[in-house]
Amino acid sequence: MTKDQLIAKLKSIVEPYIQNEEAFNNLSENTDFINDLKINSANLVDVVLDVEDEFDIRIENDDMEKMISVKTAMDIINEKLNAK
Amino acid sequence: MIGNDIVDLNYAAKHSPYSNSKRYQRFLDKVFTKKEQLLIFNAEDKHQMVWLLWSMKEAAYKVNVQQFGKQFYNPKRIDCKLLNDKKGQVIIDENLYFTESIITDDFSHSIATLEGETDFKSEWFKVEKLDYKTQSKMLKYSFLKLISETKGFNIQTLSIKKTEVGIPKLFNESKKLCIDFSLSHCGEFSGFVF
Repeated sequence: MTKDQLIAKLKSIVEPYIQNEEAFNNLSENTDFINDLKINSANLVDVVLDVEDEFDIRIENDDMEKMISVKTAMDIINEKLNAK
Repeated sequence: MIGNDIVDLNYAAKHSPYSNSKRYQRFLDKVFTKKEQLLIFNAEDKHQMVWLLWSMKEAAYKVNVQQFGKQFYNPKRIDCKLLNDKKGQVIIDENLYFTESIITDDFSHSIATLEGETDFKSEWFKVEKLDYKTQSKMLKYSFLKLISETKGFNIQTLSIKKTEVGIPKLFNESKKLCIDFSLSHCGEFSGFVF
């Protein structure tokens, strides 16, 4: 999967939970889920569960710990997909 | 240092996994320790217990980020203990936090401190059906209004800026003030403490 495809998939996963449209429209690798997209921290668990389902991977809590931005989420997804 | 977190229970019911779904157990396993899951399982109102514990974790986390300047997302690393229906203790790694909570049918609001201080001022309020930006503006305004009245500042010259890790700081005429505070918003409810 290319970087752009991965970002596009992530974008559709986070869409139901975002509260800042502007930051969502300008989403890039550097976008932070809570500080920029204003995703409610409780809903970040839903993002993680959706990522698990979409990519058929399992994200342990130690990995989840770093999932606070698009960049770190992409790193973790790639790492898990490569380990498959 | 002080942190607070408010959860709108109706909003949470709508936006988080339903308790009869498969996803619910996966949600619990990602967020709560075995001991906390037992508290939830044995609670009269499970939904209230889930979000009481959540708000305690989040309030303590906000103090932890102020202390160490590092964000992380691992609610399970934050360990809650309830002393009674209002007071609790939270441990993050080796650090202890004291919490005080209000829980009603509509919301759960927790405040966390480092030493169990009780001389803080806090407020919560409900604003129906407003978009996120307006809610956020109203929360900041309510906080600035009370702090300007309490500490004798001119509200016009006060402003809030966030640090890189998302900690809000208070400024008066662009001079940073040493006042610890915390803002929180969820659904129709907002809360703050200083």
